[in-house]
Amino acid sequence: MSENAVIEIRNLTKIYRDFWGRPKVRAVNSLSLDVNKGEVFGLLGPNGSGKTTTIKMLLGLLFPTEGDIRILGKPATDVAKNESIGYLPEESYLYRFLNAEETLDFYGRLFSMSPAERKQRADELIKMVGLDKARRRQLKEYSKGMTRRIGLAQALINNPQLVLLDEPTSGLDPIGTREMKDLILKLKDEGKTVVMCSHLLADVQDVCDRIAILYNGELKQLGMVEELLASQDKTQIVSSTLSDEAIEEIKQVIAKHHGNLQEISSPTTSLEELFLQTVAESQARPGQRFVSESEQKTAESKS
Amino acid sequence: MNFDAKPMNIPEALSTWGLVFGSILVASLAIGFILALVLGGKRGIPRFFENLGEGLTDLIRMSPKRVGAIANLTLKEAIRRKALLVFVVFAVLFMFGGWFLSNTNSREELQLSVYVSFVLTSIGWLIFPVALILACWGLPEDIRLRSLHTVVTKPVRRSEIVLGRILGFVGVGTFVVGIMSVLGYVWIIRQVPENVKSRLIARVPVYGSLDFRDRQGEEAESGVNTGDINPYRSYIEGASKARAKWTFDGLSPSDLQIDPETGKPALLVENSFQAFRTHKGVIDEVLHGQYTLVNPETDLRVSLPQFPVYEFRQNLAWIPEELEYYNEETQQTETRNLFDDLVVDGKLAVEARCVDVGQFLGMARPDLFIRLPDRPFASSYFKSVFGIWMMMVLIVVLGVTASTFVKGPVATILLFTLILVGTGFNQFMNDILSGEVRGAGLIESGIRILNHGNPIVEKPDSLEESVAVQNVDQVFTGLLWGISHVIPNFNIFSFKAYTANGFDVPMMAAVMPAVFMVLGFFIPCLILGYYSLKLRELEAK
Ligand SMILES: Nc1ncnc2c1ncn2[C@@H]1O[C@H](COP(=O)(O)OP(=O)(O)O)[C@@H](O)[C@H]1O
Ligand SMILES: [Mg+2]
Repeated sequence: MSENAVIEIRNLTKIYRDFWGRPKVRAVNSLSLDVNKGEVFGLLGPNGSGKTTTIKMLLGLLFPTEGDIRILGKPATDVAKNESIGYLPEESYLYRFLNAEETLDFYGRLFSMSPAERKQRADELIKMVGLDKARRRQLKEYSKGMTRRIGLAQALINNPQLVLLDEPTSGLDPIGTREMKDLILKLKDEGKTVVMCSHLLADVQDVCDRIAILYNGELKQLGMVEELLASQDKTQIVSSTLSDEAIEEIKQVIAKHHGNLQEISSPTTSLEELFLQTVAESQARPGQRFVSESEQKTAESKS
Repeated sequence: MNFDAKPMNIPEALSTWGLVFGSILVASLAIGFILALVLGGKRGIPRFFENLGEGLTDLIRMSPKRVGAIANLTLKEAIRRKALLVFVVFAVLFMFGGWFLSNTNSREELQLSVYVSFVLTSIGWLIFPVALILACWGLPEDIRLRSLHTVVTKPVRRSEIVLGRILGFVGVGTFVVGIMSVLGYVWIIRQVPENVKSRLIARVPVYGSLDFRDRQGEEAESGVNTGDINPYRSYIEGASKARAKWTFDGLSPSDLQIDPETGKPALLVENSFQAFRTHKGVIDEVLHGQYTLVNPETDLRVSLPQFPVYEFRQNLAWIPEELEYYNEETQQTETRNLFDDLVVDGKLAVEARCVDVGQFLGMARPDLFIRLPDRPFASSYFKSVFGIWMMMVLIVVLGVTASTFVKGPVATILLFTLILVGTGFNQFMNDILSGEVRGAGLIESGIRILNHGNPIVEKPDSLEESVAVQNVDQVFTGLLWGISHVIPNFNIFSFKAYTANGFDVPMMAAVMPAVFMVLGFFIPCLILGYYSLKLRELEAK
C-alpha cells in the first residue's frame, strides 16, 4: 500500500491554540488516510470541517499537534518535496503588485528554472488559463475568477507530480468551472496525483476517483465515489425523455416483476443526498464514523 | 568631536564578538533544548537535533538564484508601493534648504561645514525611517496577506527568504542613498562660495602620542590647568622650559609634499593651539609658538622658526626635508636632512613651546598633526555616505530579523527603541561597565536609593558584608555587559564630523569598525531570523 501512496496521513490531529497556548479549536481529529499515485482524491466537507487545515499540514505550513505525515515519501517540513508539488491556496495569495507574467516568472525562479524555460512555461500557462489579454495587468486589478486562474497557473509552473487544490472552483464562472474540471482530468491522464478539497459536490462527483468526507475534523466517509454512491437496494434506469404512454408501460412491467416503483423524475445529484445525509447523521451522533444503512444491515446480519 | 579615534584592533574585536556570539549561541541552544524537552516530550529531543541539522544545511546551501528572486521581488514591491516618494521630500528639502542655511554673518569655512553636515544629516534622516519601516513591515505583511504561503510551498528555504528580504531592502536603500548622495554632492559643490572651494578637501592627519615637560623641563603628567573645567587642553607656559612633545610614528619620505613657497619637498604640520593670556601683551598681535624637532634616539634637536598662533584656524607649518638651522652649541648655521638625521624607524618627535612671556598656549593630543597629501573632498564625503549606508544596512538587518517574530508595528517600535538606546545610552552603559560612572550594582543602588544615600556615601557596613548583594550585582553587571554588546552603538556610523571639518574619514579608526559591526550583527541575525521563520506557523493570527 505504502509503495503506491503519495500521501500517508496517520492519526493526524490539529488543535489551534490561542496566544497563551490554550486550546481553541480541534480542527482535525485523528485523521488517517492515504492518497495513491495517479488518482484524483477529493476532500469533502462543510465549511470549517478541517479541509484547509489538513492541506496546510501536508505542506508544512501548519505543524500537526499529533500524528505523522509523509508526502512523496518525505516529512511535511522538508522543502525538497516542494520541487514536485503544486499548490493552489483557498484564495490566491499572490503578490498583487505583480502582473501575470511577472508572477509566473517569480515562481519559476523559485524553482531555479532558466529564463528561457520560464518565459516559455509562463506563456503556455497564461494561455491555458485564458489570461492572455490581461497578462500585463497587475493582479490587484484582477477579478476573483481571474485571480483564481493565475493562482492555478502558478501552481502548475513546475509541472508538478502532485497537485493540491483548495476549493479550485470557488469564484469561477460556469465555463471556468468546466475548464477547471477538464484540467483536473487532464492532469490525471498525465499520470499526476490530484488532491482537491471542496464543498461543491457536483465538482467532486465529476472528477474524483475517491473521496473522504470530513465533518468537524473527523473522517466520516472514505472510498471510491461509485461505491459510496451505489445503492444496493435500488435500480436506476436512465433514458432520454419518454412519452407518458411509455412511462405507463414501464410501470406495468415493474409491477409485473413485483418491483416497487419509488420515483420517476429527472435525476438529481445523488452525491448531494449522500452528503446531506452524512452531515445530518453526524450532527445527530457526533464523534462516530457514519455507517450507511446497507453497512449497518450487513453488520447486524453477521452478529 | 574628537578626530583622533584609535585604529580598531581587529583580533580583539573578533575575539569579543566570538565571546558574545558564543555565549548567546550556547544560551539559546540550552534554552532551545529545554523547550524542546518540555514541549515535545520524548519526541522533542530528536526534533531538536533534526532542526539543528536542517538549520545548518539551510544556512549553508542557500541558492543565490532564489535569494536573488526574493530580493528582486522586494525591490519591485518597494518601488510599486511608492517607497521612492522619499525623493520628493529630499528634493523639496534641498530646493529650499539653501535659503535657511546661508548665513552671510558666519565665516565662510563654517558655512561650508554647515552645508556638508546638512546634506549628510538629511540623507540619514530620510533613509533611516524608510529602511526601518520597509524592513519592519515587509515580512509581517507577507505573512498577513498569506502571500508567503505560496512562496514557502515552493522549494524555498526559509533562510533564503530572510536573506532575500534583507538584500532586497538593502537594494532599495542603496538606490535611494546613491541618488541622494550624488545630488547632495552636486548641491554642495554649487552652493559653496567660490573663495572657499579650496577648503573642500579631505585632510589626512597623522596623530602622535603626547607627553609634557613642566617649566623646569622635568617630565610632567600634563601642562598647566588654566581653570577650565574640561581638562581637554593642557597649557604650556611661555618662555619657560615647559613644552609638549608629540612622537609620531610610521613616517616615510613618501609623506613629503612640495612646499608651494619654496618648491622643495617638505612635511606639512598643522596645529590648532589655543591661547590663554595672563596679561594683555601686544594687543593686536597673536601669540607665537615654536617647534623643535628631536631625534628620539640621538636627541639631536633642531629648532624651527617661530610661528604665529591664529586661534580657531588651521596654523600650517612646513618642515623642509633639508633643514637649515642655527646650532646653539656650535653657534653656526647647519644643514640636516629630515629623514636621515631626525627620523628613526619612522619615528619623529616634535616639541612645541610658547614664546611669549607670561602667556600660555593650550594643547591637546589632536591639536598637532602631520598632514599627509590631501585627498579630494569626494573621498571623505563618500566615506561618510558609506557610513550612512552601513547604518541603513544594519537597520534593515535588525528590522527584518525582528519582523520574523513580531508584527510590523511591534517590530517598528522595537527597532526604534533599539536605535534610541543604541544612540543615546551606549556611552552610559560603557561608562558603567568601565567604572567611569560612580555607582554600584543594581541591587546595591536600589538599597541606596531606598535609604536616600547617594553613590558617594560610604557603603553601610551591612552592604559591605552582604556577599549576596555583591554576587547578584555581579550577575547583573555581566548581563549589562552582554546587553551593551547586543545593542549596537549606532554612533559609530556617523562620520559626518570628519567630512564637515575637512578631514578624510580614517579607514582603520572609523570605517572598519562600522563594517565589522554590520557583519557582526548580520550573522547572528540571519540565524535568528531563519529559525524564527522556520519554527513558527506562518498563520497570521
Ligand atoms: N488560524 C486559525 N486559528 C484558529 N482556528 C482556525 C484557524 N484556521 C482555521 N481554524 C478553525 O479550524 C476549523 C477548520 O477550518 P478549515 O480547515 O479552514 O476548514 P475548511 O477548509 O474545511 O472550511 C474551523 O473551525 C476554523 O474556524
Ligand atoms: Mg477551506
